[in-house]
Amino acid sequence: MTSSKINTADAIMLILSIVVTHTMLSLPRNILIVTKSATILNLIFVSIIAILIAYFIVRLMRSFSGLDLIDISEFLGGKVLKTIIGIIFIAYFLSSSSIMLRNFCESLKIIYYPVTDITFIILFFIIAICMANRLDFGATIKTNTLILPFVLASIIFLFFANMNKFSPQRMFPILGDGIIQTFGWGLINLSAFGGIAYLYFLPTALNEPHKMKKIALISIGISAIYLILCVSTLLFMFSFFLEANEITPLYNATRYIEFGNFFQRLESIFLLFWILAVAGYMSIVSKFSMRIFQKITNIENKKSLIDIFGLLIFGISTIPKNYAISEKCETEIYPYMVLGIVFVLGISILVLANLSKRNKKTKRKEEQHV
Amino acid sequence: MSKFLRNIFVFALIISFIIAFSGSYSSLSMDNLAYVLAIGIDSSDENKLEVTFEFSTTSPASESGSSEKTSPVINTVTASTLSNAINLMNSYMGKQINMSHCKIIVFSEELAYQGISDEIYTLINDTQIRPSANIMISKCSAKYYLKQTKPELESSIFKYYEILTNSSKYTGYIPDSSIGNFFNNLLCKSCMPTAILCGTNQADLQNSSAKDAEKNSSIKANETLLEGKNGSESIGTAVFRDDKLVGELNAIETISFLTTRNEIDRFLISVPDPIKQGKYLDIYLSLDGKPEIKVDTSTSSPYIKFKTKFSGRIYSMSKDSDYLSPEVLNIISNTCNSYLESTFSKYLYRTAQEFHSDISGFGKNALLNFFTYSESNSYNWLENYKNSFFDVDVDTSIQSGMLLTET
Repeated sequence: MTSSKINTADAIMLILSIVVTHTMLSLPRNILIVTKSATILNLIFVSIIAILIAYFIVRLMRSFSGLDLIDISEFLGGKVLKTIIGIIFIAYFLSSSSIMLRNFCESLKIIYYPVTDITFIILFFIIAICMANRLDFGATIKTNTLILPFVLASIIFLFFANMNKFSPQRMFPILGDGIIQTFGWGLINLSAFGGIAYLYFLPTALNEPHKMKKIALISIGISAIYLILCVSTLLFMFSFFLEANEITPLYNATRYIEFGNFFQRLESIFLLFWILAVAGYMSIVSKFSMRIFQKITNIENKKSLIDIFGLLIFGISTIPKNYAISEKCETEIYPYMVLGIVFVLGISILVLANLSKRNKKTKRKEEQHV
Repeated sequence: MSKFLRNIFVFALIISFIIAFSGSYSSLSMDNLAYVLAIGIDSSDENKLEVTFEFSTTSPASESGSSEKTSPVINTVTASTLSNAINLMNSYMGKQINMSHCKIIVFSEELAYQGISDEIYTLINDTQIRPSANIMISKCSAKYYLKQTKPELESSIFKYYEILTNSSKYTGYIPDSSIGNFFNNLLCKSCMPTAILCGTNQADLQNSSAKDAEKNSSIKANETLLEGKNGSESIGTAVFRDDKLVGELNAIETISFLTTRNEIDRFLISVPDPIKQGKYLDIYLSLDGKPEIKVDTSTSSPYIKFKTKFSGRIYSMSKDSDYLSPEVLNIISNTCNSYLESTFSKYLYRTAQEFHSDISGFGKNALLNFFTYSESNSYNWLENYKNSFFDVDVDTSIQSGMLLTET
């Protein structure tokens, strides 16, 4: 049966889910702070680089057809490296998603549940994750594929519904803080494409692994358009992102949507879609973490891990003492984690594994020749 | 046994969730809330604020089904800050104040001259306040303004506050000054905030100077010749430099302001009749496309070119009018052009030289001249705006009369 395998559309939505969920919180503001009015220019530049990187990753993985990063690490450095890489990626997936969950729940608390303890709001998601993970792998992915188009459509709607409030002049001065800041330091905005991390683990989950290139290019392309839409909405609408920090900038933009006196207060619909998207994203992250854990420990029974990983996410998300700490983690640590783990570590492993494979091939050829 | 334990666990979980979320439910339940429709903020002695809350009262429908007019509840509290005032009012009302339906926030002129940034930041920080709630500056005390507001055509005062600014679209006499826009402009480095100017209609009907046609458009709140049961009125714009009130715009200046910001659909103006000396023509003008704005920042005195197009129809009609003749329409168009150019120039120089406040947001257009923030920051737009020169070009095309074209 192929029920545990995922098709091309599911895989694209999977990668998009990371960008989408992080964009609901402080990601757009983080991007804007680095490059200010030059953000759109920077995002175009960074998107091209992200597409090239994704293409490079697919090229590197082509020589290890049907293997994921964990298998490739084992090929490169044996069980030790496999375990280390596995643990690093599990830690990355769990910590980034848990902090994201914490921040999202903080926003929900402020907006809708002012007197409810934050742990109960987080617990609500944890229960959803644990229940979803008891289902088949394909079921979670398919649910994500169903929800995400609504979220994407909501962002397009947000852009067009607020268009009459736009001041496009806010994209000037076109170079923001200068060329070096926009195209040099602005490279940190590559962290917005954290979804690339899934590319490393997709080959073993795909129905048609040969479509990796298509998946990578389409998903990064859509992510780029999505990011530009989100950031443009905020940049053109508000002048205060550098002066004041709003807890959820996109939610703030939804509050401005009004069509006459009848269609008002549409933000609740947005929030409903976003809650579903976050729940879907969390389930996917914990599922991938469990798959990696199963690989490095050779545990057969997945069910015993579900609650443990649920509790791990719950535990990590309750570590920050307050919102200030969890927000700092998301704005100051998360981007470097993405750059370090997803781009530097992941690509390094792939490059070294390719070199090692080539060396082995050459040696084998030499031996045959001798 | 394990199934039994699992059921107990699930049951305990459900109970704990019900308890945890019931607090939020109760705090947001309609029965426990007092809905504020308007807030009035006045300054008081010893740096204190006098905050007036206008609450909605729910009236049961009569037997015939028609809803009866109910007078709103207006309560005032004096406190050191706005948050303390809300807290005190919570205690007094016995219900939690909810501001999610607050439509207007009125500041007294006196307080606005001192600065209102603390109050604006506090209100923006509140999740209940909608960004669409309007900021108004009252010529009288905010408390008096709220008490004088007695809508004549609306049974619900909430509906009155909601549609209060609608007339702006066809009169141009008040700006759109939602708290969201106000906050946005307050933090903007190339524009300044504005608010609706309001007051009570207490003008002397016999001796008012605003009685002749030309001066009709130079009225503002507290100076109109209105007489009615509703004692409040809103005409004109309150101009801010940062968070402090620095001046007022009258009706025609507000039209000029809204035109420069492309926030007006159509409006009526009275221009001197070029055919009949001493008479005035009322013309309905509509903006034709977006105004063209070019800002030259090559010197420390910005040179601002403002070009706009209008199409219009003659509204007032008298005996022996001939509005089918192209020559006559051309003459009227030229009169309109010179009248509007002079009006717009006066308004623009007033904002620059008197208010030192770029409420039209030309600074945003000036950003096009710079490549980096360091260049734009070193130019210091807000400081240099007071030295601006303006070149206003208005192109009006008068089409004809409306139903009558010739008499």
